[in-house]
Amino acid sequence: MAATPLLELKGINKGFGPVQVLHDVSIAVYPGEVTALVGDNGAGKSTLVKCISGIYTIDSGSISFGGNPVTIHSPRDAAALGIEVVYQDLALADNLDIVQNMFLGREKKKGIVLDEATMEQMAGDTLASLSVRTVKSLRQLVASLSGGQRQTVAIAKAVLWNSKVVILDEPTAALGVAQTAQVLELVRRLADNGLGVLIISHNMNDVFAVSDHIATLYLGRMAAQVKTTDVTHAQVVELITSGRSGDMGLPPEKPAEFADAAIDITPGGEK
Amino acid sequence: MRAAPSQEEVRRHNLGTLLRYVHLHGATTRAELTTRLGLNRSTIGALTAELTTAGLVSEAAPRETGRAGRPSLVVRPESSKVYAYALSIEVDRLRAARVGLGGRILDRREIERPRGMQALDAVQPLAKFVREMRAGAPDDARYIGTGVAVAGMVRRDDGVVRLAPTIGWVEEPVGAALTAELDDGEKLTVGNHADVCALVEHSRGAAVGSDNVIYLYGDVGVGAGIIADGRRVAGHGGYGGEVGHMVVNPYGRECSCGSRGCWETEIGEYALLKHAGRSEESGRQAVLNVVDAAMRGDSQAKFAVREVGEWIGFGVGNLVNIFNPEAVIFGGTLRDVYLVAAAQIRSRLTAIALPAAREHIRLRTPELGYDAALMGAAELAFERLLEDPLLS
Repeated sequence: MAATPLLELKGINKGFGPVQVLHDVSIAVYPGEVTALVGDNGAGKSTLVKCISGIYTIDSGSISFGGNPVTIHSPRDAAALGIEVVYQDLALADNLDIVQNMFLGREKKKGIVLDEATMEQMAGDTLASLSVRTVKSLRQLVASLSGGQRQTVAIAKAVLWNSKVVILDEPTAALGVAQTAQVLELVRRLADNGLGVLIISHNMNDVFAVSDHIATLYLGRMAAQVKTTDVTHAQVVELITSGRSGDMGLPPEKPAEFADAAIDITPGGEK
Repeated sequence: MRAAPSQEEVRRHNLGTLLRYVHLHGATTRAELTTRLGLNRSTIGALTAELTTAGLVSEAAPRETGRAGRPSLVVRPESSKVYAYALSIEVDRLRAARVGLGGRILDRREIERPRGMQALDAVQPLAKFVREMRAGAPDDARYIGTGVAVAGMVRRDDGVVRLAPTIGWVEEPVGAALTAELDDGEKLTVGNHADVCALVEHSRGAAVGSDNVIYLYGDVGVGAGIIADGRRVAGHGGYGGEVGHMVVNPYGRECSCGSRGCWETEIGEYALLKHAGRSEESGRQAVLNVVDAAMRGDSQAKFAVREVGEWIGFGVGNLVNIFNPEAVIFGGTLRDVYLVAAAQIRSRLTAIALPAAREHIRLRTPELGYDAALMGAAELAFERLLEDPLLS
């Protein structure tokens, strides 16, 4: 809906030695919208996310944030822009409580001591703004939480830092039904609160349930970024598996040669 | 020509507007009220003072603002002192709650409703709940009224349930029976379940800020609360929104309403359970079990969910073409079915709905969940107070 993308990548190339992983990839993430990044195993989804989050540096291409060109050389650069990533393994410390986890490495201080009261307040406010009601106490150890609650804490942690873009890598993998539903609703709420959300998922239901745009990677190329209201399940599956569907997606390989060949075998074509 | 509103009328209107604002948004500073309501500071001060005297709101200094200058007083609804009873009659449950001004549920009760329970048998347990909760309410708390949500077609004037096929009631004077049982005078309002859910999701839930919304509630049947241009689409007699009886399959199964192939015969509980080969089961938990099995990969459950998903998309596509809503909200067990069948629903919707009608459509799940019916029923009662905050 919004005209200017919050985060826009254009013509991204990334290779590891002789292996070219991303070819000329472009993708846009809009504020208030969920963009789903889909593709087969090895299509380059994780590499693309790592380029955005500063873990890998791109070989060529441009990144703009809020309309301004930026460079991302390290995860710190990405965090400074307001890009937070929630990885599949969640990276939470089991032996710490919810508040400590949310502020891990970025603790608030009052003089030389930790400002526990403020941190607890901020953590509580963040969870409340996401309408999270499943967590009983903020001082609960993360070890005691269920899979869905851990995911919730990890997402809340990403939101806490005034972030503008949240990237979620398979947030519903390995969750039960009720928890998957809660996490999907949470993802939707992030966007409805105005954030730009990029979600990687293999589950087409999750993609269709929450996304506004679907970006499909096919063998390291962006086959298409389409609006979810414009496509069907079958079309997206086709884009994932063959890189195109009808007039969407990548052009057929070397179309000119096909055309020539067609003329060559036309009977009576050479007169 | 009608004379301009008198000062008194304007004042009452402003009182209602201010009270409604804090009722929906909770604690608000005077400064924010001034900007939001477009009234000047002294007016806000006078209105707040009047509502405070009436015992409807309270004012207090904020804890800490961190900003320079005298902090603006915070106005909050007197949730613990002003309350309504909310009752909900659903296919499988009877629920009751005591809801404070501001939409806070203070107390709640619920009991299973065996399918086939008659109207008069349902009135007794609900009345008992109300009496229990009344005993628990503080002595100085003020009772505003009672709202009842019924999963059926209701005549608002006198609370007669005209037809509730899924519950099995026809022309039952539920409102009158409850009024007599509670000895409640004029303070009881009966509304349709999906309607009140839609209104409360619109005023404080998933559809805030959207003025064209379709709220679908599914269990055995399917009902809708339709909001167009910010108002409930009621129809001539108030019976509009029965989307569950939109015929989608003339060769389909017979419906509890007597017709054939209604939407709810394809997407309701019985259809899902039948496709899943679990016709002998019933109830919300049985539906959730199918959804769960589908996610775990059970092929028959997956088939059932897909089949139902196709039909959901079919009906939603039609509704989108007719109403061009900004949001469609899936409530009841449709929430769970939506989340596991979104691919089918969206695909069918994309195929059926016209591009211009669907381009900005948002499909959402409810934010208030199962509390929506109770909160919505309470709104029926609070509405009288918000119309005229000084009524006794």
